Amino acid sequence: MEPIVMLFAWMLIIAFLAFIACMFEDLESDIGSQSNPNSQIQLAPEMGYIHRYFNKAISGEGLSYALSCTISGTIAMLILLQLESVGPTAALLAIPVGAAVGSLVHMVRSSVCHVGREAAHKRFEQPIYLDVLYGHLLPIATHNFLAVICITAIAYIQSNLGILSGVAGASNPFPLPLLCLIWGLTVGAIGSSTGDIHYGTERAFQDKPFGEGRRVVYHGQICRYGACGTRTSKDVAAFCAKYGGPATGLAFGLIVLFENWRTVIGMTLGGVAGPGWNPSLAAAWGIGIGIVIAVVLVILARTIEKWARNKYGPFVGE
Amino acid sequence: MGEEEVKQEEKEIKEKPKEKFKLSFDYFNESRLGIFALIIGIIVAIFPGLPAFIKGIGMMIVLLWGADSVRKTARYGLGTGVPSIGVLAMGFGIVGGITGIAVASLSFGTLVVGGVEIAFGVLAGVALLALLGFVSGNLANGDKFINMKIPGLERGMTELGIAGTLAVLIETSIISGTYAITNVLPNAINNGVIAVIFIISAFAMLQPLNTCLGADERRGRTLLMSIEIGGIASIILGLVTTLTLSAVQGVPLIVLGAVVWVVFYRAYMKACLEEAYAVKGTGLIKTLGG
Repeated sequence: MEPIVMLFAWMLIIAFLAFIACMFEDLESDIGSQSNPNSQIQLAPEMGYIHRYFNKAISGEGLSYALSCTISGTIAMLILLQLESVGPTAALLAIPVGAAVGSLVHMVRSSVCHVGREAAHKRFEQPIYLDVLYGHLLPIATHNFLAVICITAIAYIQSNLGILSGVAGASNPFPLPLLCLIWGLTVGAIGSSTGDIHYGTERAFQDKPFGEGRRVVYHGQICRYGACGTRTSKDVAAFCAKYGGPATGLAFGLIVLFENWRTVIGMTLGGVAGPGWNPSLAAAWGIGIGIVIAVVLVILARTIEKWARNKYGPFVGE
Repeated sequence: MGEEEVKQEEKEIKEKPKEKFKLSFDYFNESRLGIFALIIGIIVAIFPGLPAFIKGIGMMIVLLWGADSVRKTARYGLGTGVPSIGVLAMGFGIVGGITGIAVASLSFGTLVVGGVEIAFGVLAGVALLALLGFVSGNLANGDKFINMKIPGLERGMTELGIAGTLAVLIETSIISGTYAITNVLPNAINNGVIAVIFIISAFAMLQPLNTCLGADERRGRTLLMSIEIGGIASIILGLVTTLTLSAVQGVPLIVLGAVVWVVFYRAYMKACLEEAYAVKGTGLIKTLGG
């Protein structure tokens, strides 16, 4: 098969893995409350609203995913170095083992968060519910594992793309752990910026008026009595798997897809490392197509916003 | 009455050993811990020939100091900014660490006295980042500039710069065994291990305060977690060291990390569960009416 077709196929696989990774990243961050929703979960006891949410304040999502993905990438790299004689099939062992270690570390980090934050709420009479603590650790680890294994696989494919696709020089010059750090930060950032909005409107604040920001008087008034208060944060995953998770995954997958797509088309038009290879022509085509994609996306977003405003009424306060 | 008094006495007797058990850092207050960690950190950093096991202990002490500095800087209601402070410290650290390693691998940067390597050059990186941290703290807090008025920011930023630099230096010397740039580049930087050094040291500094944040945060409890993350860092660096240097260096580091992690994870969880308002197996939240 032509190398450029193989290159495009691998890039589609990367985009698909990115979709899965970001979807599970968002669902994992919704089990418990990380980054933006966490501020309201943290505020709730201080306002007198005792709750049964899992307080997962490891750090922002970007950093905590950078941690688990980088550890996964480092372990995978060590195993790959040990099994160099086996060849590329060593990745079949290295990537899952690395991801398992990464998600184990993530689980340990989230277990200390809940007890730490709730113990610091002593004067607000917030107890530590042990079933909340134990019940959430396994869902957190499993969702995290799926996200981390996809990110490690993406980083592995990227750093070996030249060998895998047959296009010389297509490999990323960065080593595996560094790629995992960058991808982990990115997947956490997208999951935080896109996914938290869905989490907030779908679960934590179900009575939010259209288009309104959270007023200060309502701070901490999270939904605590879902199914008579017995529900805990792990049910949020099932709740958000309908819209929030896939939408977040789609956002990240499309970013990766468009980015790779324009690069590959630009490379094809520039003559892909053949006799007529012209890097500056390839870069120019790539940038041009990128600008066209951006303009189309802006127009689409504006159209959807207009449609939503017409359909669901004006923003509160307008 | 008599019976009640006896009961009260019994209660007091029962409660006393609990308080004794509390792990605290009362002797090592902020200044003492800083001085102690600075001295230990510099001694461990300038002798790259020390066994990885001892360097691992030095690394944990430096990370503990970093966590204490983050707490010092960020406890005045920085809230979501806590992780940024930890990452800032390690950003300082990477710059200072690379500077220190570069100076140490120059001809005058490392002295060899009786076969023992003494890398004075790394102190250049430490000094540079102490200065840079002090200047940036002043810029952020000074009246003429951003004027953030955070108490103790200048001192906090200086300490963060030094602690971050020392952490990067010690961890690099654990992995490569020397500061010679020809050794450091393939063992620590080209293979991407610098990424794991960056992120796990940042977590050892930022996560303790970020996780224990709240009205009833206690310093002793917060710092326990930093040592616990230091244990995880030791395990991972031990795995890397087994490959880059030898199992003789790596395995003791892994064992040290595992023991430290188990001991301090238990101590931290116990402290939190004991100091919480209540620990319930399960139950409904109390309704608004009581």
